[in-house]
Amino acid sequence: MNSIIIDGLSFSLPLFIMAVGGIYSEKSGVTNLALEGLQGFGAFIGALVAVLAAEKLGGSSSVPFYLALVFAMIGGLLFSLIHALLCIRFKADMVISGVVVNTLAMALTVFLTKQINLSHFKAPSDKFVLGVAGKITIPGISKIPVLGAVFTNMYPFELIIVVVAFIAWFALYKTRFGLHLRACGENPHAVDAAGIKVGQIRFIAVMVSGALSGLGGICFAYSISANFSPNIYVGYGYLAIAAYIFGNWKILPTLGACLLFGFARSGGYKLVQVLGMPSSFQDLVMILPYALTLFLLIFFSKKNRAPRALGDIYDKGAR
Amino acid sequence: MNKKESILKKAVLATIGHEKRQKIAIPIFSILLALLVGGIMIACMGHNPFYAFYNLLQGCGIAPKASYAGYKGMITDFMDFMDNLTPMIFAALAVAVALRSGLFNIGVSGQMLAAGFIATVTVGYSTLSAPIAKPLVIIIGIVVGALVGGLIGFLKYKFNINEVVSSIMINYILEYVISFFINTYFVDPVSRQSKNVSAASRLTLCDVVIGNYKMDIPLGIILAIITVILVRFIMNRTVLGFEMKAVGCSETAAKYAGIKVGKNIVLTMFISGALSGLAGVTYYLGYFASIQPKVLTSTGFDAIAVSLLGNSNPVGIIFSSFLITVIGKGSTYMSSASGIQQEIASVITGIILLFSACGAFIRYKTGRLRDMTKTGKEEK
Repeated sequence: MNSIIIDGLSFSLPLFIMAVGGIYSEKSGVTNLALEGLQGFGAFIGALVAVLAAEKLGGSSSVPFYLALVFAMIGGLLFSLIHALLCIRFKADMVISGVVVNTLAMALTVFLTKQINLSHFKAPSDKFVLGVAGKITIPGISKIPVLGAVFTNMYPFELIIVVVAFIAWFALYKTRFGLHLRACGENPHAVDAAGIKVGQIRFIAVMVSGALSGLGGICFAYSISANFSPNIYVGYGYLAIAAYIFGNWKILPTLGACLLFGFARSGGYKLVQVLGMPSSFQDLVMILPYALTLFLLIFFSKKNRAPRALGDIYDKGAR
Repeated sequence: MNKKESILKKAVLATIGHEKRQKIAIPIFSILLALLVGGIMIACMGHNPFYAFYNLLQGCGIAPKASYAGYKGMITDFMDFMDNLTPMIFAALAVAVALRSGLFNIGVSGQMLAAGFIATVTVGYSTLSAPIAKPLVIIIGIVVGALVGGLIGFLKYKFNINEVVSSIMINYILEYVISFFINTYFVDPVSRQSKNVSAASRLTLCDVVIGNYKMDIPLGIILAIITVILVRFIMNRTVLGFEMKAVGCSETAAKYAGIKVGKNIVLTMFISGALSGLAGVTYYLGYFASIQPKVLTSTGFDAIAVSLLGNSNPVGIIFSSFLITVIGKGSTYMSSASGIQQEIASVITGIILLFSACGAFIRYKTGRLRDMTKTGKEEK
């Protein structure tokens, strides 16, 4: 039971922070299918910095890990500029732009990883080995039955994610900027009439989504795969999108959706282990989050209301 | 300064400014820019970009290689290239048909896999003779692909699920379920892939000796050309094609005109899926004879670049798929000949995609530039 909670949380929290990024972008009216590519690119930059830092500082230091988190956010932010430029400045179709960003991120990171490994580390490899982040157990609270498992063997990034998510929630719902951002997704013309630049706000929103996706990506790289490799592109970004659609573009219900995905996945793995099924059955378990997503979307997609101006290219002259 | 600017403006207008020529000029512009960026990247790694691009052509049998093994020649490479090109044309058509209705079929790879898998286990492992097996493979491919595509359309119409999200989810579900079945029942213990299909069911005639050369002849390419003409006819000359275009341009306007939008969405995805199915059987039972578990082919994703580059026009797609396949297929030879990472190919494809996505903006900007120079002249 404990391992289900521990593994489930380490899967669902990175997913959640990516979904929060997606909410920022979509609440401002920019459809963001680019999460997948942004998390990958962020993770790539983070992993690159971590590997380089580890080379300088030696293996056991935890500095590379925190450097990686910061640079992953910067990397995701920088790459999201492409999406922002295409959607806002160049008025490209937002869905197409998202797919372009994903394709480009995937191609670039895979190519650069190989190239850098070859030219800098002199090894033909398609991954940066990171290792798993050290786990922490909070003494005291972890002794509480069931709930204590949440605080046992935590990855340090889980705490960071919770803090960042709280700040994101506060900024979106309790500040003037958040109000403007949400208004951009509902009625950009009204925002414009109030003398606020719609393009600017949307730009910032997309950049926030890039930074948060990068954070989510590096957390996956540091936990599930323990390296950066093309394997990071297994649809985490799309799962996050499904999560916030299912969560009705609200932060707390989205957390619920992410937890559901995480526990479905870890529960499924546990089931395969407990029943002693051959490892090929793991493939069937792997579909659980995806199948669950599809199934839930069938029930919730119709009732949920997307931001009204979502996907509309803002044109000042339009009526 | 002013003079320089006006020369630049004139140059831009003369090359990509013409309204009618823009349809061709912008894709060519994107390709050249992407090749330029790719070339600079290659040069930065200390290789000769022109030699690298020439390697791409050599790898596809368009330019002669320095030496060939016995029974092999340019024509062998070219036939192999055509074999690779066939699924790409089908896949790009699938994306284009969906785009016409404003739908984004990113699930082409999944639909290909499903069609290829079902055709493999039903016909590929049977003992049917070639005249029965080959048409049957094609029919099964069409039906399975259409069903998966239709399901995505149905989910969009009935439950308002974004087709991109649902097709990605279905992609993963298919990938894992099929890999489970392959690993449990149909695996070849040596190659770790599914067992090879019978030669009778393959859509490629293997090792045919013509003259001094041994080659694989792709039968699918003929079907692909016919399909291109057929799709072009449906899109431009039929009521269905018109309705699809109307839905793509504006759903509300289409509804107002009495077009059944929901039915149209399902039907479009149905056709798009059928085309992906064809891509699947020509890929898994043509170019290859087996399926690698846990891998979705990149063809379905490259097809998006192909389709955007070809303006979603069936004839344009022939040219753009030719180009993207040259880059993709030739990169294997390029990496062995000049030691450049093969992945540069997908980077170049990605950059082409990036520039073609800006097409609308270029059209808008050059349009304004044209208006401005016009009014400027009048003032004088």
